[in-house]
Amino acid sequence: MNKGIHRKPTLLMIALAGAASAATVGVQPYDGARFVAGQQFDLRVEVSGLKNVKSTVVTLDGKPVTGLAVTPGRDGGQNHMLRGLSLTRGQHTLAVTVTDDAGTTTRSATWTAEAPTYTARPAKNVILFIADGMGWNTVNAARIIARGYNAQNGNPNGLLSMETGLGGMATVTTSSYDSFLADSANTASSIATGQKVLVNALNVYPDNTDDALDNPRVETITEMLRRLRGAGVGLVSTAFGVDATPAAFAAHTRRRGDYQAIADQYFQGPAKPDVMLFGGSRDFIPSTAPGSRRRDDRNWIDESQKLGFQFVSNRTELLNAGGTKLFGLFNIDNVPSYLDRAQYRTKDMLGDFTDMPYLWDMTQKAVQTLEKNPNGFFLMVEAGMVDKYEHPLDWQRGVWDVLELDRAVDWAKQYARQHPDTLVLVTADHAHSISAYAGYDSSKQGREGVTTYEKGSFPTYTSKLDANGIPFPQTARGVAVGFAGTPDYCETYGSGPVFLDPTVSDGKGGFVPNPKICETPGAVRRVGNLGPADAQGVHSADPMPLFAFGAGAQNFTGMMDQTDIFFAIARSMNLARAGR
Amino acid sequence: MKNVLFALLALLATSAGAQTTLKFSDLLGRTTVRGVEFSDTVKKLNGRRVELRGFMAPPLKPKLDFFVLTKQPMATCPFCTTAADWPPDIVLVIMPPGRELDPSTRLLSVTGRLEIGVKRDDETGFVSLIRIYADRVTEQ
Repeated sequence: MNKGIHRKPTLLMIALAGAASAATVGVQPYDGARFVAGQQFDLRVEVSGLKNVKSTVVTLDGKPVTGLAVTPGRDGGQNHMLRGLSLTRGQHTLAVTVTDDAGTTTRSATWTAEAPTYTARPAKNVILFIADGMGWNTVNAARIIARGYNAQNGNPNGLLSMETGLGGMATVTTSSYDSFLADSANTASSIATGQKVLVNALNVYPDNTDDALDNPRVETITEMLRRLRGAGVGLVSTAFGVDATPAAFAAHTRRRGDYQAIADQYFQGPAKPDVMLFGGSRDFIPSTAPGSRRRDDRNWIDESQKLGFQFVSNRTELLNAGGTKLFGLFNIDNVPSYLDRAQYRTKDMLGDFTDMPYLWDMTQKAVQTLEKNPNGFFLMVEAGMVDKYEHPLDWQRGVWDVLELDRAVDWAKQYARQHPDTLVLVTADHAHSISAYAGYDSSKQGREGVTTYEKGSFPTYTSKLDANGIPFPQTARGVAVGFAGTPDYCETYGSGPVFLDPTVSDGKGGFVPNPKICETPGAVRRVGNLGPADAQGVHSADPMPLFAFGAGAQNFTGMMDQTDIFFAIARSMNLARAGR
Repeated sequence: MKNVLFALLALLATSAGAQTTLKFSDLLGRTTVRGVEFSDTVKKLNGRRVELRGFMAPPLKPKLDFFVLTKQPMATCPFCTTAADWPPDIVLVIMPPGRELDPSTRLLSVTGRLEIGVKRDDETGFVSLIRIYADRVTEQ
């Protein structure tokens, strides 16, 4: 639920000290960019502050770069653009020399292309799970709830499936091109491309134009696999289909809110996913259909079928599907939380969508569809609603979606055991400031129920499980979970069968606690610590886990910056060899 | 909230006449991935005078000639972002020309002429499915 605010894009402009010319030169990819050998990217040079330009010379490793398209820049400047460059293994230097009436300005950027040592048993297939907003603490809360403890001696009863049988494990930190904080667009882009990207941008570098779709692009792992190997690509998410995380594996835009363009790129761009299963049909149906978010008459449900996709719109149809290209939309918006689909099942939350699949259904069918491609596949599966419920402080809906994810991971691990050329990764894009800070005695109300130290005893969630083997949130002894960064809100230590926003507008640009939540007996009114314009919780800079299984899992270890994930995947697949 | 009561009492004798009370749950028929269907009730009442109660979504500006009415109070401003995840059962309320009102966080009763169908506001780009051309808005 990031607001998708579009900041004016700017290239990093640095006038070199001592240069005679007043011109400023910006280069993208940025100085210090890392690529996999053969990975394609667009070069953009933006020059401004010129006085009667005489020449602009762009060289790569001392040789002139030809074929640059030159367009007028801002303030009488020049833009130079060349799409589809790639590098051989090693370090490379791009240099720009601009001469005008005032003299000469130079600027350079150093790039590195990596081609790691050949891996003897590479991964042919990758199943990448991304739980949106699942920092270490979110996983921890999920484990406490799902596994519990031996009340006789305090030993934990076990781990989540995603935490066991590991071939590799890392702690991941992230940051954006323009902030130490991050959103789901730039973080997923870092995993998909190995680059640092602007907040709200998908697989592009900054530029100085207003058009969000013309920015210099960088090739994603999915596009590389499609181009170099003819591998299959799959995207699965419980969020709406053109949301940032799936979009990062098949789209390029400066602005993640370009939903219509992202939907079009899914079918027309270079990644060409064979499998797309998600919520959010609004961006795929024509503007004439009430509920559409498009501005044209394009109907991707109908057109996809002409392109050879089988279209499914509920769980029953999904489970019966059997083709090689599969397009599934299971809701007009986000698929509601696991708790809503499996346990609460209220009309308010489900509406007319009473037969939505589970994440494990989607994962399994996606793999069974993609594995028909002899060239291997890359499947990204997003548990998209973890973040969407952490934002409004509904920790139960968020954490229970991690339990749904864990069952999908369990299936994928079994698949990897049967198919040893498969790499399974489980990670997050960013964290939320969530914490399991106390216990909770549900026989009491409000703060009276909070239990600390030995009074916390042991949670009892595992005493009753639903048909999928997942506990219910209603239990005698629970966990008190909260967030460090909040707006003003009313704390109720849990949520009910119908989701409610934590705040409502005060009509003056600020927000007040939702009075409906504050009516809950024992509700604790809390003064927030976020800015007055924030209506809900926000992404934090906290660390995230990465769990790896199967072929190449040993490449994921220690402390990793999020961009390292891309390089480790490429290494696990021997992907760079093709580009040497 | 002090005295922000804003009854635009009965502008026209004709429009002040009989009205049908609508509920949010009456607005839409079936929703599928191919879109939203209007309920038989609103199809029947299209063009007629109705009353509907709901909450004002976070407004765009301090004085309003239009706003979005929702079933539950919301924190998301419909005009501030294209990224909003909106429930389909929201109603655009258009105030009579020259009549503006102050933002409110309380339950509102809106009375006016009902109109259904996909319509795009050229100025804001906001797409509405159900509109009420209000002649009366009161806080409950």
